Amino acid sequence: MSDLPPASFTLEYPYTRSTGPVVGPFLTALRDGRILGIRCRGRVLCPPLEFDPKTGETLAPDFVEVGPGGRVQSWTWIAEPARTHPFAEPFAFATILLDGADTALVHAVRAGSIDEMSTGMRVRAQWREERRQSIADVFFVPEARAREQRLEPGRGEVEMTEQLISLSYSEPLYPHRARYAKGLLEGRFIGQKSPVSGKVYLPSKGYDLLERVRLTEADDVVVANTGTVVSYTVITPVQYYGQKETEPSIRASILLDGADQPLGQQDIRNIPIAKFRAGMRLRAVFKPPGERELGELDNRWGGTGSAISRWEPTGEPDVPFEKIAEHNW
Amino acid sequence: MTAQEIAIVAFAQTPAVRQYGDSEPAMLMDLTNQLLAETGLERKEIDFTIAGSCDYLSGLPFAFVMNVDGFGAWPPVYESHVEMDGAWALFEAWVRLQVGDIDIALVAGSGKSSPGKPREIFALQTNPYYCAPLGLDPVSVAGLQARALLDAGKASERDFAEVVSRSRRDGLANPNAQVAKDVSVDALLKEPYFAAPLRRHDLPPISDGAAAVLVARGERARQLCERPIWIRGIDHRIESSHLGLRDLTDSPSTRLAAEKLGVHDGPIDVAELCARYSPEEIVLRLALGLRAPTRINPSGGPLCGHPVMATGLVRVVEVARRIREGSARRGLAHATSGPALQQNLLCLLEGDA
Repeated sequence: MSDLPPASFTLEYPYTRSTGPVVGPFLTALRDGRILGIRCRGRVLCPPLEFDPKTGETLAPDFVEVGPGGRVQSWTWIAEPARTHPFAEPFAFATILLDGADTALVHAVRAGSIDEMSTGMRVRAQWREERRQSIADVFFVPEARAREQRLEPGRGEVEMTEQLISLSYSEPLYPHRARYAKGLLEGRFIGQKSPVSGKVYLPSKGYDLLERVRLTEADDVVVANTGTVVSYTVITPVQYYGQKETEPSIRASILLDGADQPLGQQDIRNIPIAKFRAGMRLRAVFKPPGERELGELDNRWGGTGSAISRWEPTGEPDVPFEKIAEHNW
Repeated sequence: MTAQEIAIVAFAQTPAVRQYGDSEPAMLMDLTNQLLAETGLERKEIDFTIAGSCDYLSGLPFAFVMNVDGFGAWPPVYESHVEMDGAWALFEAWVRLQVGDIDIALVAGSGKSSPGKPREIFALQTNPYYCAPLGLDPVSVAGLQARALLDAGKASERDFAEVVSRSRRDGLANPNAQVAKDVSVDALLKEPYFAAPLRRHDLPPISDGAAAVLVARGERARQLCERPIWIRGIDHRIESSHLGLRDLTDSPSTRLAAEKLGVHDGPIDVAELCARYSPEEIVLRLALGLRAPTRINPSGGPLCGHPVMATGLVRVVEVARRIREGSARRGLAHATSGPALQQNLLCLLEGDA
């Protein structure tokens, strides 16, 4: 284990989904305080489906209002809710057979205490103050504790529903990656040389993928701070959720002298796009010792964190294409 | 078409651990090298590789591509991937070998659950309109299933604890188990609820791990090992993703798969069931009609180690191990996917008479 902080990141994106001919009317009604089921061969399905679960045939949009009361079929008491659950305090998940429906809806019951819960108990829907055109606009409570609610109907049909997906990850740097990271903090590049193929990997993944050999600390080698641009792309930032960039910029693959694997995704800001080219010779200019940080360095892509301030042209003649062809793609 | 005879010729697995300190491809590389060393094969002799893994576990798009490093990046190979447990990768390899033009396939399943939060990740596997926005996670669904079993009179909380007690004790003899303990049913029943009626021990541990098997066709299988473990059949059946349409106390998909495979045409010496929560074992036992002398989960099962995306393939490995050792001749491996045993795969394995 290294004494460096773990690599942590959040994978987050709002998923926007069109609702279609059945979920759309269901969520529209739900927003306005009503729960719909759909008729299917003499039965009422809730939540409503677009298809007959037995035959797969498309169902006609023959909706029928169900609930808002119902009976608990099965339930489980969530003593330690997850961040993604509807309530931060303990609650129940339950399968609920709403009055007028023949199939159960899975939903949350805010009962206050496990002692309030029992199979067969009556529950009733309650709507949230703020509704987001989502199944989570509603929740259930023991029927005796239900309040009368007057809801202001929303406008138009619900054609889209959005869910923010947010997942967090954290993992210690693997031993080989931690040594690479420490190298960056010390102002140098530490790779690994395979004792079998002789290839120098930077940053190493801890193995030689050509020969299927795991590498150890004894295989660590220091690689030069100078290298050659072997490939690059100019990224024009699309303004998606979470985008921080506004101007086009260069991402380059740089093959450091003595390495057999280019360092990818290097962010170039100090060289004009028009003058940038494969074959160009560059030198890593590290930040002063106290200012080097690992930033988003992780176990996956590697990168150089926030340890270097820029890649500076060395002024040497370009390396001809033939000499870097293996790495140019 | 006559079915090709296909056998497992070698198998390997990593221990299940709470946190493995290196990468998923590193685990797979160790297993690949182990299988090649055991069979004397060179990497270039493998015609087809296929892996099961889940990019969401590591939070890295295309993580499965990096896993190919573990098989060795050279020479290029005909490669495939399933975003499913490795048991489904085995199914695809079996189908691929049925074509009859290639002989050897390497199959793996791997997962590291340690960097993320499985409860939050796998809630995203549910219906995106009706369930995922509620964060309906596998543990909660297992709780609903457990209550349904109790209310139907098909099981008691003591039955759940008996599954756990037996499994954790069996895990003591399994060097790859993450959790193993000699603990009595009474002691377990004194523990507090976690997702009532489930207690924390009714849940599997969060694990990192991997498994791999080498499969070969016909005569090639006999050349590569002394005791091939023949795959007599694999069957995969799916139930509705809508819990409200299912009877959570039964597993008709498992029963159907067993019928199609002819599981009961002969004695089953050992069954390794992918019962991730103790009530799932009871549902599966009932659906499969398993009873003594069939030995159930002698490895301790997923309650002793749950490397998601490999847990099902580990069941295959555990059955294969017992057939090779000679303690079983005919065995059944089960894998599952989705909430409350939504999808079930059975693999019938048999040694030479």
